[in-house]
Amino acid sequence: MWQKLQNIDRRIIYTLLLIVLFVPMAKPLGIPLSVNETTQTVFDTIEALDPQSDTVLFVLDYSVGGQADVHPQAVAVAKHLGRRGIKTVMVGFVTDGPMFAEQIIAELGDRFTYGETVINLGYMSGGETAVKSFVEDPKNSFENDHRGNRVANTPIMSGIETIKDFSYIIDFQTGAPGYQDFLRQLPAGFPYAAGIVTVCVPNVIPYYNSGQLHGLLQGLRGAAEYEVVLGEPGEGAARMDAQSMGHVVIIAFIVVGNLAYFMTKRSVKKSA
Amino acid sequence: MRRGVPLAIVFIVGTLLLLNYFVANDTLKATSTNLVNWGVIVSAFAVGLASVNLVRIHINKISRQRPGWINSVALVATMAIFISVGIYTKLNPDNAGAKALFQNLFDHSYSPFGSAMFAILAFYVASASYRAFRMRSLEASLLLIAAVLVMLGNAPIGELVWDKFPVISNWLLRVINMTGQRGIAIGVAIGGFATSMRILLGFDRGHLGQGE
Amino acid sequence: MTMINGTFFVLAALLVYGTFIIGVLVATRSGKFTPKIRRIAALDSIEEAVGRATEMGRPVHYTPGYGDITSSTAPQTFASFDVLTYVVGLTAKYNTQLIVTCKSPQSFPLIQELVRQAYLASGKPDMFQEDTVRYISDAQFAWAAGVLGIFNREKVAANIMIGYFMAESLLFAEGGAQVGAIQVAGTGNLAQTAFFVAACDYTLIGEELFAGGAYLSQDAVKLGSLGGQDYVKLATMALISVGTLLATFNSKWLVDLMSK
Repeated sequence: MWQKLQNIDRRIIYTLLLIVLFVPMAKPLGIPLSVNETTQTVFDTIEALDPQSDTVLFVLDYSVGGQADVHPQAVAVAKHLGRRGIKTVMVGFVTDGPMFAEQIIAELGDRFTYGETVINLGYMSGGETAVKSFVEDPKNSFENDHRGNRVANTPIMSGIETIKDFSYIIDFQTGAPGYQDFLRQLPAGFPYAAGIVTVCVPNVIPYYNSGQLHGLLQGLRGAAEYEVVLGEPGEGAARMDAQSMGHVVIIAFIVVGNLAYFMTKRSVKKSA
Repeated sequence: MRRGVPLAIVFIVGTLLLLNYFVANDTLKATSTNLVNWGVIVSAFAVGLASVNLVRIHINKISRQRPGWINSVALVATMAIFISVGIYTKLNPDNAGAKALFQNLFDHSYSPFGSAMFAILAFYVASASYRAFRMRSLEASLLLIAAVLVMLGNAPIGELVWDKFPVISNWLLRVINMTGQRGIAIGVAIGGFATSMRILLGFDRGHLGQGE
Repeated sequence: MTMINGTFFVLAALLVYGTFIIGVLVATRSGKFTPKIRRIAALDSIEEAVGRATEMGRPVHYTPGYGDITSSTAPQTFASFDVLTYVVGLTAKYNTQLIVTCKSPQSFPLIQELVRQAYLASGKPDMFQEDTVRYISDAQFAWAAGVLGIFNREKVAANIMIGYFMAESLLFAEGGAQVGAIQVAGTGNLAQTAFFVAACDYTLIGEELFAGGAYLSQDAVKLGSLGGQDYVKLATMALISVGTLLATFNSKWLVDLMSK
């Protein structure tokens, strides 16, 4: 039996995991969670901005693949910006970015006025090269926005001459371009925060500790934490229960595998 | 000549962009911005070139009815639909129907397919960790214990069981993990720097092919 | 023409580190210095992987990963090209089919040319076919789905993944394990290294990736560059030690110098 438990068919693992993930999504358990300091920093910074004078650059650098982790973060932060009436300039350096921007604007339409408090500039091709180009000249990087309006005619962009006219940059990302590209291209010490996929957390933490990142939303948990601190529960909080249960199943399989490994080893020793 | 010209272009463009990072000069900045913009345009052309290869391979597969040719039909058809709707929407920004169709294609086909691929990761993490995390040695045991602690610290259920799990997880990430990460990251950065220097100065020509 | 504030130290470091690397490289090329590289099991295993694919009569799959040639991931992509050249040579030697899949449209023509010429140099130009190098998609998971499809349809026996990888790393590594392929992987992206270690047979960790070209070709330029990197690392370690010591005694001298 122990031998069998050492090599459980992967289809059994997948089925069990599927069930355990599905149940809390259908009927959330409401497990409470604490708010990480890295998330609180982003919230506090946005809370301190002045709707009259401050503009935020809202970068959507995530692809459809990682949206499950990052899109709820972007929605939560956009809700906050919209609620406070902070001018929000959306831009994407990955192809999917502008589409997600449209989704967010459509979802939060009542909190923003297009052209005045929000704009979707669209996608700029070229990866880090494009980031560099935008940082050097944000005013002239886009002639028309994603909807075909002339950028120069929009009130929201009238006060933007250089990158320093943005008070805060928050970049939601799943890969490249991402935090490293921005940190290399932005002026040193520029207030820049990142929303990342969970798997990248170990990689990105050193940049937060060194002070180069002015805030960090860590995967789906980061979204859930932001929703908690904002007082508007959404997608992130709802999915955290499923993530919790998924972790439990993975740990259970690791324990079973190890138990079987030791018991098999012991029986082999005994028979020898 | 065949190699000399590309090497000279790499050297001149690379040096100008590097100089622009260090020196404040309007002419240099304008030249550098132009070069960067050209880079963006060349990148866009590369997408076209690569797409031609993709279409050629799949048209070839369809015309010869090779095994799995039906998949190629799906690929070419989907590509054609997305490209035509995308271009039409760009050329007619006031056409609400076309815009809605494009957004719907994104929201209801492209986006769920991408998410499905990402979701597979959860299953693969489960099977890979079940297979790989065995306490075969001291190092493997430490790896396993750290992984379990971080998982428990990140999942709210761990916090519910013991409120110190997030503290331990945070400490592992911000102290133990960070030291290793920084060490290896510095090594990778130096490796990257050396490779870039070799290419910029023309010492490394492997990427230009082996023939003269 | 004036220096931009805060870039003086970076320029100084660039010049000093650059001099170290080029100095050792030139010394190695002229035969005055020969750096020795320790054994790297993952690189040694590539021939075994290609050999196994040959015995089974199934193809070898190679991918340089998510990275491209125009961003910070470029050095890892170029390092991957060195290993790819070696793999092309091996597949030519053993007459084994090679499939190279790529995500980056920018690197695609470069890879195509590199593989074509490597086959030509190995005396087997006919082994290069139109579908030897395949551009799949610039979208991460469309590319991943395409590669997994190739694994399953063409039953690859060896899967070599060297370069910059993101979330697709585990999809490829588990997908490869499921079709029973022998797998060699390496990336400078540490978040993904853990997945490769868990699911692959051999893994290159961090900067070992950059040693690939030198180790496999024993080319003097690459060996010299690798030797130079070690001196740069020593200098960096010294800088870190001095910085730690000064910070312990509340001195901001080095921090101030670095921000000049």
